[in-house]
Amino acid sequence: MLVLRRALFSELLAVIAYPLTLYLAFGVGLKGYISAVEGVPYPVFIAPGLISMTAVNAAFDESAWSMWFHRRVQRTIEEYRVTPITVYDIVIGKILCGFSHGIFKGVAVTAVIFVFTPFRFSLLHLAFYLFYIILGSMIFSCLGTICGSTIDKPENIGRVQAVVLVPLIFMSGIFFPLSSYPAALVPFIKLLPTTAAFDGARQALLHGIMEPVYAVNLVVSATVTFLLAVWIFDRKMAE
Amino acid sequence: MAAVVLDSVSKVYGSITAVDRFSLQVRQSTIFGLLGPNGAGKTTLIRILTTLTRPTSGRALVEGLDTQAEGRKVRELIGVVPQENNLDRYLTARENLVLHARMHGMKPEEYNRRIDELLELTGLSGRQHDFPDTFSGGMQRRLVVARALVHTPRVLFLDEPTTGLDPQSRRAVWDHIRSLSRDMTIFLTTHYMEEAEMLCDRIVIMDHGRSLVDGTASELKERLAHAHHYELEFRSGGDRYEEVLRALPFVKSLEKVGDTFRLTLTAEEDLKPLMDSIAGADLRKICLREPSLEDVFIELTGSKVRE
Repeated sequence: MLVLRRALFSELLAVIAYPLTLYLAFGVGLKGYISAVEGVPYPVFIAPGLISMTAVNAAFDESAWSMWFHRRVQRTIEEYRVTPITVYDIVIGKILCGFSHGIFKGVAVTAVIFVFTPFRFSLLHLAFYLFYIILGSMIFSCLGTICGSTIDKPENIGRVQAVVLVPLIFMSGIFFPLSSYPAALVPFIKLLPTTAAFDGARQALLHGIMEPVYAVNLVVSATVTFLLAVWIFDRKMAE
Repeated sequence: MAAVVLDSVSKVYGSITAVDRFSLQVRQSTIFGLLGPNGAGKTTLIRILTTLTRPTSGRALVEGLDTQAEGRKVRELIGVVPQENNLDRYLTARENLVLHARMHGMKPEEYNRRIDELLELTGLSGRQHDFPDTFSGGMQRRLVVARALVHTPRVLFLDEPTTGLDPQSRRAVWDHIRSLSRDMTIFLTTHYMEEAEMLCDRIVIMDHGRSLVDGTASELKERLAHAHHYELEFRSGGDRYEEVLRALPFVKSLEKVGDTFRLTLTAEEDLKPLMDSIAGADLRKICLREPSLEDVFIELTGSKVRE
């Protein structure tokens, strides 16, 4: 947190610039061409997904790169390991760090979109939406921790993001409704945790709907990735 | 009670035996030096003693506590200075020490005074709010040593503490280590014979995961007293004699430094045939050379460079 506080302005600038650009490009630029999606104006349709995307990307980036940097470059993980704290304390600390970055940056983007665009939502829906953001950030923070614990070359972390995470995020309906997929594919797409995080978040924020299948998917995914991250880190440290 | 006990400890990585049934006891409040060439197993032993690595077999104890069964308690008692300066470059010098203190569960009223003392002691008070990236290698090393001491450990492990330092910084670290030895046991590994000789009450030389010899610096040198080291210096034409000397069957080793030849004979009686073989040479000097700790090290571990 001390390090985040020190670099607050540059961190926020970098984090806000990307989703805001997408919002302006797609939400404003395409507004004249796409009138409404599922009865919702297009800029409003994409806004919840952009906020979620910012949060989960921030959670992944922080936990993956921080873990990799502390393990491979600074080797501070070794310093932590010769103190009375345990490997579980270290990995849980790293996961929570990524998670809190995700939440913090998600809130920052929400505030910016709220201030600079006509996007509005009911505060009553916010609690449901937070459920998705929190679990989405937790899942991506755990995935980042797994990557940071196991991948030694930095370019391979970038490849995981480009080849696995970005397609998963874009397939989950941030910019288009799931009804665009062939009907046979939809049940499979709905099983993706990213779909649960993004489509579920949109339904929660815009319509106040809590989709039980999405909620269970996220809780199970968060639990599994958390246990996996802790186990993998423990194994890696025992090598 | 011994501060450090290794009881037939082995560590095997696949087909490589890094440590092979190594046993050792180190008394409390002594400075113990572990010497060995690269890959001898020194760092593996330190990693086992500091709970970072599990031994394949055998038992390692620190202050009577088993490093595997009571790892957390062991880590409360030890300070570690690793080979690399693993400081957090996003935290200032003082923040690095505070983070370490907090990981040891210390309260601000305990650690603030202690950190002030250590920064003063290591000459870093004036730079405490600067980031380690802006420090010289010697300053970073002193900060790593200070960090290892924040929680007042009973046993301090130093893995090659002065590697890469200039002579002044090296001496500053030595002075600092010596000043600590009254209150704690110090276990250090080093490549520098001079460092071991200056600092250590007891030295073990190891290679291929095994202990080769154990004693004080003077005891180890005494072991080579039977070896016959001589120095020959020619006033002129020394090069002509290099091949002659190398061909002598009783010359165990030969090293040429400028016009001086350093050679080891197999026995004292070989001196006469040596002189006969270079009869008529324009000799400036011939003298018996006292064995150094480095001679002992090379004698035991060989002179070939390790991969």
